[in-house]
Amino acid sequence: MKTNLGTVSIYNRVTGRDEDAVIYQGFDAQNLAHIETRWRPMFEERRVEALRIGASASDINAEDARWEWGRKMLAAVREPFLYELFVLEVAAITQAIMLVRKGGEKCFSRHEEHPRAPLIYVDFLSTAPWNRPRMVAQPVYTGCGRALISTAISFSFEEELRGRVGLHALPGAEEFYREKIGMTDLGVDEDYSGLRYFEVSASFAAKMFTSPEGGEE
Amino acid sequence: MKRTMTLNLTDAEMDALEALCEEKGLSKTALVRQALRLYQSVDARLARGDKVFVENADKTEKAELMVL
Repeated sequence: MKTNLGTVSIYNRVTGRDEDAVIYQGFDAQNLAHIETRWRPMFEERRVEALRIGASASDINAEDARWEWGRKMLAAVREPFLYELFVLEVAAITQAIMLVRKGGEKCFSRHEEHPRAPLIYVDFLSTAPWNRPRMVAQPVYTGCGRALISTAISFSFEEELRGRVGLHALPGAEEFYREKIGMTDLGVDEDYSGLRYFEVSASFAAKMFTSPEGGEE
Repeated sequence: MKRTMTLNLTDAEMDALEALCEEKGLSKTALVRQALRLYQSVDARLARGDKVFVENADKTEKAELMVL
């Protein structure tokens, strides 16, 4: 079951044109099918190539390649109270997916602007392999990750949380969250596998939603 | 769909609720919703047999959290 939240423009680097992307809250069997039958084989193919040349998962932008999205979808169905899942599609093909937590122990701010205030926590966010720099020579769509982070911020406003969003970033995604999105880097979290923790503060969220946004993924 | 309920609280409970709403910048509805999610999240872990601990800032003390 999924609900159409609206359409955003996503730039296609191959054609040089903007295309309509639809953002959904929820998912259906087609989204899982896309991940299993289109994403996974491509990740696997690139993983084997990387092994052959001695490159790491980070080198080929595939640190999340083994995430089990089927299990995450099941969690979202079983615990709708705690999780929301969002997908981004272009031409009915899944281009990116995000699982957020809307309550629980991860959902408290560490930002000095509003310590301990509740927030939306982005548990997992992945884009399709063909959209990733370093994974493919010519990534197709740019802006999918940014569109989903914007969706998380929008969802945070909807939940009366003033746009606050937090997440732990895999090493290969740190630059994206810090430089491209502009999230506050709150340092390494030794209690979370040493990953760096980032937040969108309420004031930054307010600015993002009132000024024209630039940049690209 | 959202449903409406009436909540009967003592003065002290209402004062605590309003103070938290003020501190967190939340409406009463949003605060109760967040509290319920946290309670449910912790309770689900305990129901699975997990233990939930609270640790002090310098990590010298750790206490197990019990939930009714």
